[in-house]
Amino acid sequence: MRAKLFLIGGLLLAAALTAPVALADNGGFTPVAPESPNAEGIRDSYLFVSIFVFSIFVLVEGLLIAFIVRYRRRKRARFEDGAPIHGATKLELLWSAFPVVILFLIGAFVFIELPGIKDVPSAATGDQLEIRVTGRQYYWQYEYPNGVIAIDTMAAPAGVPVRLEVTSPDDDVIHSWWIPALGGKIDAIPGTVNETWFQADTPGTYTGQCAELCGLEHARMLASVEVLPEAEFAAWLERRRAEQTAGSGELGKEEWEGACAKCHGLSGEGGIGPKLAGSIVLADPEAVENLVRNGRRTMPAVGSGWTSEQVEALTAYLKENPPSGS
Amino acid sequence: MAARAETVPAWQRGKVASWLVTTDHKRIGILYISTALVFFILAGLMSLAVRLQLSQANAEVLSPDRYNELITIHGTAMVFLVAVPLLAGLANYLVPLMIGARDVAFPRLNALSYWLFFLGGAVLMLSFFAKGGAAQAGWTAYPPLSTQAPGNGQDLWILSLHILTASSLAGAINFIVTIHSLRTRGMTWTRMPLFVWSIELYAWLLMAVLPTLAAGLTLLLLDRGLSIGPWDVQTNFFNPAEGGSPVLYQHAFWFFGHPEVYIIVLPAFGIISEVLPVFARKPVFGYKAIAFSTVAIGFFSMIVWAHHLFTVGLPIPLQAYFMIASMIIAVPTGMKIFNWLATLWRGNISFDTPMLYALGFLSVFVMGGLTGIYLAAFPIDWQVHDTYFVVAHFHYTLFGGAVFAIFAGLHYWWPKMFGRILDERLGKWQFWALFVGFNLAFFPQHLLGLEGMPRRIYTYADESWEGYNLASTIGSYVMGVAILLFVVNVVKTSRSGARVGNDPWQADTLEWYTTSPPPPHNFDDVPYVTSARPLYDLRRKLREKSGSREPL
Repeated sequence: MRAKLFLIGGLLLAAALTAPVALADNGGFTPVAPESPNAEGIRDSYLFVSIFVFSIFVLVEGLLIAFIVRYRRRKRARFEDGAPIHGATKLELLWSAFPVVILFLIGAFVFIELPGIKDVPSAATGDQLEIRVTGRQYYWQYEYPNGVIAIDTMAAPAGVPVRLEVTSPDDDVIHSWWIPALGGKIDAIPGTVNETWFQADTPGTYTGQCAELCGLEHARMLASVEVLPEAEFAAWLERRRAEQTAGSGELGKEEWEGACAKCHGLSGEGGIGPKLAGSIVLADPEAVENLVRNGRRTMPAVGSGWTSEQVEALTAYLKENPPSGS
Repeated sequence: MAARAETVPAWQRGKVASWLVTTDHKRIGILYISTALVFFILAGLMSLAVRLQLSQANAEVLSPDRYNELITIHGTAMVFLVAVPLLAGLANYLVPLMIGARDVAFPRLNALSYWLFFLGGAVLMLSFFAKGGAAQAGWTAYPPLSTQAPGNGQDLWILSLHILTASSLAGAINFIVTIHSLRTRGMTWTRMPLFVWSIELYAWLLMAVLPTLAAGLTLLLLDRGLSIGPWDVQTNFFNPAEGGSPVLYQHAFWFFGHPEVYIIVLPAFGIISEVLPVFARKPVFGYKAIAFSTVAIGFFSMIVWAHHLFTVGLPIPLQAYFMIASMIIAVPTGMKIFNWLATLWRGNISFDTPMLYALGFLSVFVMGGLTGIYLAAFPIDWQVHDTYFVVAHFHYTLFGGAVFAIFAGLHYWWPKMFGRILDERLGKWQFWALFVGFNLAFFPQHLLGLEGMPRRIYTYADESWEGYNLASTIGSYVMGVAILLFVVNVVKTSRSGARVGNDPWQADTLEWYTTSPPPPHNFDDVPYVTSARPLYDLRRKLREKSGSREPL
């Protein structure tokens, strides 16, 4: 009996020690590999909790299986009584205290990690970028301090803390901003401005999507963050500023793909919204403006708060690239 | 009885009519259970359609609106029309028998409860035919999405929940009064079966939190606009453009919604506490600890709701409080699990179908409980909230917890309700199909969530999610087969099931003292109760009298 106890104890210890190693190998057993300090803090908390979760899981399932095997009926009579044990106060106290200790450890670890997850690193290093993120049915709009607007794909500088002000217009619904590699999610709520941040050191594209049911095309409300080396980002911001003033460039295309195509199809072939290819409305800038600003029947007013620059970008894009329908 | 039968008007004596007008708690219990099983099959079929759509990237089985309708009604139905009524049905049947009463305290109110449930269920299911289809805002119906939704589906959803709320409140009052005032002689609070304890807490929780849900729903309805004769009512409780707060609704919903989880899981715990000792041939380990933990869980479940709101931007001290409060629930829950394990310790365990389900419950519920720790730790929740990780978590607690326990209960009490035992071979096949299918369907969903798949998306383009999704879909269809086996078993048993007498399991509680099925008045006499195991005491006394050393 004692040998068995040692065996079980040894197995549990081995399991507790190997769990973090096994979990570190990503196959969906840990959150997406972090690329920002806040995501890292969350991943570490996850791994810390996992040590206890895994140990308790093995303990309980192990005892369950051991008891099932050891105390099965075998050749005993069907209704023969088992041991007449009604309870044990000491045991009750023991297994009430045991989770309290574990929960205390978990809580303490979370509070230690919390500042690194929650607080934007202080701007002591110099620059910090602020971007306003607006969730809309069914696209993300980003506004940079110099007035540059981008849709769905956010450009950001590597190595710089980026502070995000996340919200949604009053006439819209709740969305949730989430790029798993760059931290946890935060809801975009009409009438409220929430904050989050990230600081990605490695240039690359990090993807995510809206995480709060927001209507028919919730599934297509994708978001990505393209992290560029700092100089490249500065150049991008300049170029976009100039394009926007000139009424040309990528914004129109982004608007078409983000705000129109998710319901009407990439080439206007129609989807949950009607076919747009060949529609006379598209050729009439005023009609387009009226449509995006006010919506129509079940179509949300996707451009209700747009600047005139934004509307012009879309109409200019449509003029040059009328949807082909296929 | 003959004299009483004559007082029943002729039109009420027919086979169908007698069920329609019945106020017998046992018949009402069976009505609840059978109606809920029909809804179970309907809501299950909805999930199979959803799983088909998600089995591959970019699938086109369902349109987005149909998809959103199906997830909304699947979730709402599984909670309000399946889990709660199945437990209410079992409780209806069993509580009076377990406490040695002739019926519940208010038999007519009981019938009203059932028929309101029937009506609410019908309204919800028929809302698919409403203008604009059924509700599409998820079972949580967050505004502004739900207030902006066109058509009547959302209004009917609110109406249905209002009706179901009234039904549950009436039922809760009935259970409380019954348990407090109709216990038989000698049945003190600490001699009451643990299932009855769980129903006591179930009922108090319903009383405490349903009014808040009803209030939230009423505000939602008013925000959607209401026309009564010449008056148009249009409020803005949740409309930020006019100073309202959409998050207010989330508080109202989850103040109800989180205890609702325990409203479902506590009676499931109660079933497990009845089944395990009988098949381990031991008294339950730590009766008072289990009863106490039921009360503790009930209390704490009411002060943890905002852990569902960790991503709305609550102040950090508030999030910290809700983390700590949520984690505290792990203590009484752990107590239960260890007490159940200790009940098996040094037992004489038989593996009849009810026991298989109870053991299956133990093995999967642990998983659901443990993943809850990640969700309670708010920074981790920021990562996994509203993903498939959460979907996996609550299916492990609600399906792995409640449904496994309900099947344990149905197989255990079936011989009492119908005098015939459900086929053991089919029952065991069904268990293994359900156990394997369930884990295959829901375990991979944890991993999908961690990889970044949000819940409630009708499609996805990321092909790296396909493997786990396909596994999950296959698992869900295996579960479908398991449910089909149960239906076959019920039909087969009703025709040719073995009759096994009044007490086939040699159980300890009073419901096994009467005949199977029991007469309309339940008992001719009830023994004086001197412990939590009155039938065990009786058997021992008989054994002593006859001088036999063999168990009866």
